[in-house]
Amino acid sequence: MVYRRVGCAIVALLLAVPFTSLTFSAPVLAHHSFAMFDQKNGVEMVGVVREFRYVSPHTFIIIDVKQEDGTVESWSLEGVSPSALAREGWSKDSIKTGDELKVWVAPLRSGAPGGAWVTQKIQFRDGRPIIPTPELVKGP
Amino acid sequence: MSERRAIGAIVIAAALALSLDGARAFDESKYPDFSGQWDRGNGGAGWDPTKPNGLAQNPPLTAEYQKIFEANVAAVAAGGEVYNDQSRCLPSGMPRMMIAYEPIEVIVTPKTTYVRVDHLSEFRRIYTDGRDWPAAIEPTFAGYSIGKWIDENGDGRYDVLEAETRAVKGPHSYDANGIPFHQDGEASFKERIHLDKDNPDILRDDVTTYDHALAHPWTVTRTYYRHRDAPWYEHVCVEDNHHLAIGKESYFLSADGLLMPTRKGQPPPDLRYFKEQQTAK
Repeated sequence: MVYRRVGCAIVALLLAVPFTSLTFSAPVLAHHSFAMFDQKNGVEMVGVVREFRYVSPHTFIIIDVKQEDGTVESWSLEGVSPSALAREGWSKDSIKTGDELKVWVAPLRSGAPGGAWVTQKIQFRDGRPIIPTPELVKGP
Repeated sequence: MSERRAIGAIVIAAALALSLDGARAFDESKYPDFSGQWDRGNGGAGWDPTKPNGLAQNPPLTAEYQKIFEANVAAVAAGGEVYNDQSRCLPSGMPRMMIAYEPIEVIVTPKTTYVRVDHLSEFRRIYTDGRDWPAAIEPTFAGYSIGKWIDENGDGRYDVLEAETRAVKGPHSYDANGIPFHQDGEASFKERIHLDKDNPDILRDDVTTYDHALAHPWTVTRTYYRHRDAPWYEHVCVEDNHHLAIGKESYFLSADGLLMPTRKGQPPPDLRYFKEQQTAK
């Protein structure tokens, strides 16, 4: 399980996706800025879930990504709040330790192994959506 | 037998008296229905939801405070947000709590209207008991609010809650864009809270800000959408927040609790006191 970042273009392991469709659509400005995450150069990542933290103020996915040299690097990925996820049909059991995921990440600008993820750009590695039938409870 | 009838009559009369008292205490029909869960829908998280984020918010700032705003926007672009105390779980306060990052609840009683905000578990009171402004007010993040109900169309039912808020404790901000308030801490707000005339499931809060950082008062309308049976969720910011500031730098905590830089070339924190402890050994 490897992640690839090729300049300004992303080449998926399983399919080729045009750059424009990989522009990271970060959550709207929330209680804090997302400027520390590079939203213009999203990274496709495939790895194994070490932990899914369903906590306030932000949920976290800790994902182990195998590097090309065989070592494993853990990434800390910040998502929206558990309440926001719940309104999209998620729960603390939506992702479990050991799940293999494919996720697009806006990485920290510093290059440290951290970033932000969104529900619109995450799925199980075999292509299944995390939430089969998303239930949105939102206003118009 | 007559004694029992007398006792029974007394009990019935007492019960009726109590129920009438309850009815006079709070006639709900006089007030608009603000019940339910209100969220901002697809409304923006910038203070003015009709405008994009960043400088495009175009607040009517004085030249001096426009420079501060531009510096904050530049800091954000570089990956930092030391100016944004809410990223470290400090309360939003007024006016920012009315953005409704998470849903809000408006609870009307005759003497006080309460606004409960899920995000950061914030709470404000708007007193409608006819009180005067206190001679001295201890500032709080939510401020001190006095309001009055207005029957605009003369149908015997209140339509609008007008409120004024003073004594807001700093640091506070409009939103995460970094629009600054004047350092004198004298900002105040006037609001008109009312249901949309055409859709009673839309709530509007017309907020006018008075602040010396502004060239003139600034009015923004926040809009909320009702959900009558939606669940409520807890939001406790300090549960596992990974954003922190040390000195003038913003950092990110990894999942295992280690400091991560947020921008290229960012220096580590000043560890002078750790070095002194090392030397003492």
